[in-house]
Amino acid sequence: MSVTFWVWFGIGIYIAVGLGIALMARRQLGAGVSEFFLANRRIGGFVSAGAYSATTYSAFMMVGLAGLTYLSGVGALGFELTYLCGMFMMVFFLPRYWLVGKKYGYITPMELLSDRYQSKWVGATAAILALVFLIPYSAVQLMGVGYLVNGVSQGAIPVVAGIIIAVFCTIAWSNIAGMRSDAWTDTFQALIMIVVSAIALGVVVTALGGFGSFFSKLEEASPGLLTVPTDKGAFSINMFIGLALPWLFFLISNPQVSQRLFIPKSVTAMKQMLGGFLVFGFIYTMISVLWGFSATLLVPGLEKADLATPTLLSLPIIPMGVAIIVMVGITAAAITTIDSVVLTLASVWARDIHKGLINPKVSEKRELRIGKWVIPIVTIIAFLFAWWATGKTGLPFMIASLSAAASAGLLMAVPTIFGAFFWKRGTAFGAIVSMIVGAIIVLIFQVTGWKPLGWWPGVWGFVVCVPLFVIVSLATKPPRDKAEEFLGYLKGALKKGRFI
Amino acid sequence: MTKTAWAWVWFGLLLALDIAIPWYVLTNVEKMSGAFLFWTIWVLAAIISAFIIFLRWREVKP
Repeated sequence: MSVTFWVWFGIGIYIAVGLGIALMARRQLGAGVSEFFLANRRIGGFVSAGAYSATTYSAFMMVGLAGLTYLSGVGALGFELTYLCGMFMMVFFLPRYWLVGKKYGYITPMELLSDRYQSKWVGATAAILALVFLIPYSAVQLMGVGYLVNGVSQGAIPVVAGIIIAVFCTIAWSNIAGMRSDAWTDTFQALIMIVVSAIALGVVVTALGGFGSFFSKLEEASPGLLTVPTDKGAFSINMFIGLALPWLFFLISNPQVSQRLFIPKSVTAMKQMLGGFLVFGFIYTMISVLWGFSATLLVPGLEKADLATPTLLSLPIIPMGVAIIVMVGITAAAITTIDSVVLTLASVWARDIHKGLINPKVSEKRELRIGKWVIPIVTIIAFLFAWWATGKTGLPFMIASLSAAASAGLLMAVPTIFGAFFWKRGTAFGAIVSMIVGAIIVLIFQVTGWKPLGWWPGVWGFVVCVPLFVIVSLATKPPRDKAEEFLGYLKGALKKGRFI
Repeated sequence: MTKTAWAWVWFGLLLALDIAIPWYVLTNVEKMSGAFLFWTIWVLAAIISAFIIFLRWREVKP
């Protein structure tokens, strides 16, 4: 049997099991928007942790982060662990989102902003930001699957075929039972991701003579990759902050993850979700970075760093069975992220754009139908972007860079989100102006490739949008009654649960 | 200072170390025991401190 056959076989099994789980989830699907998009806020701790982990960690890790480590060394570890350190902020935000989500019945994080600032335009602006900047992020997931299937099949399966497989799974997983099928399939896939990546790393490290020998060889062959900046100048402080700043606030800026803060059924489930995720994230990050380092030893000199993982998997030291299951694991990582993104974007369109601005009297049934229609549309736009970007080379078109660029745009909503929970004086006008101006700066700098003083687009956007939010808010009238009621409720509820 | 304020200060300190140590202290250490080991221990400190805080949470009905 050829490699190509086994690749198709592995993908076939994966799709069949995933569809089976999604169909099982459908049996428990009730009616209504809250049920479809949030599984009625009744998800237990284990599944919440699995869903959160799988949504956050994508093809970016074993393909993009491994590629960045291959190209730029240990700074990639610092960059990704800065994200994980940022998860410390969950001790502030997780209980706040969860409490107000349950009390006010928010479906999307944007709806929370609209209500808190008493303006539909705040939610709509944040929604448009998400729709614009999450497309490249979704596209990189598709690219990851495409590269991988192509690499493992040694070029027999074209990149675009891998992308189409991911598109099919995304639409199916998201449509079958909404959040419930996403959460269940995500948890199943999170287990696949961590187990198979650990097996793969074990095989490679064994081939390199164990961890001690692996580290010695690395220090001998590529010592310059073990410092920041590297001997080739990568990971200057500017590059690090440019990549890490959007990542640091990922937990609140990316609606596909912040929406998941609404779904745990209890405080116990919340604690399990956060604890499970932190452990998962630490292990998966270490595996991905060590995997990238192993590629520098085993497949040096690649022109395109994102091909480090596919190339490594096609080496004879990796048994074909292991290569196939790793490919399935990374495919799972990619699809769990993109299906969550499109589900969130569908809810955001239906709730914050259609119901918020176009037709406030829309029935719940129609709102849900509109959301379901958005799922394939967003996926196909992401597909077109991925198809275009796969032909490009260079740092800006690497999976890591495209992912960080997407989060740089979403970063512009961060002052507005902080203001919602921590500043009574924040206003809708301040929120809207800061998000729009910040996003325009990020877009212009990203499209032109301009980095004044060497600082990246997200940093410039953030430097402008934070003071803009404060100054414009101070110059305009805040929704005092709502701010008092919203923050007053939180103050009491936080104390009761010993939250901080 | 309140517990919340202390938690923010601790988080700010972690972020300051994130830049200060790898770029200014370990920049010439071309070994796994340099920036690699630092970031590993540093993030474990962040994770453990998050555990210490959230394990105190108790059940509430919103």
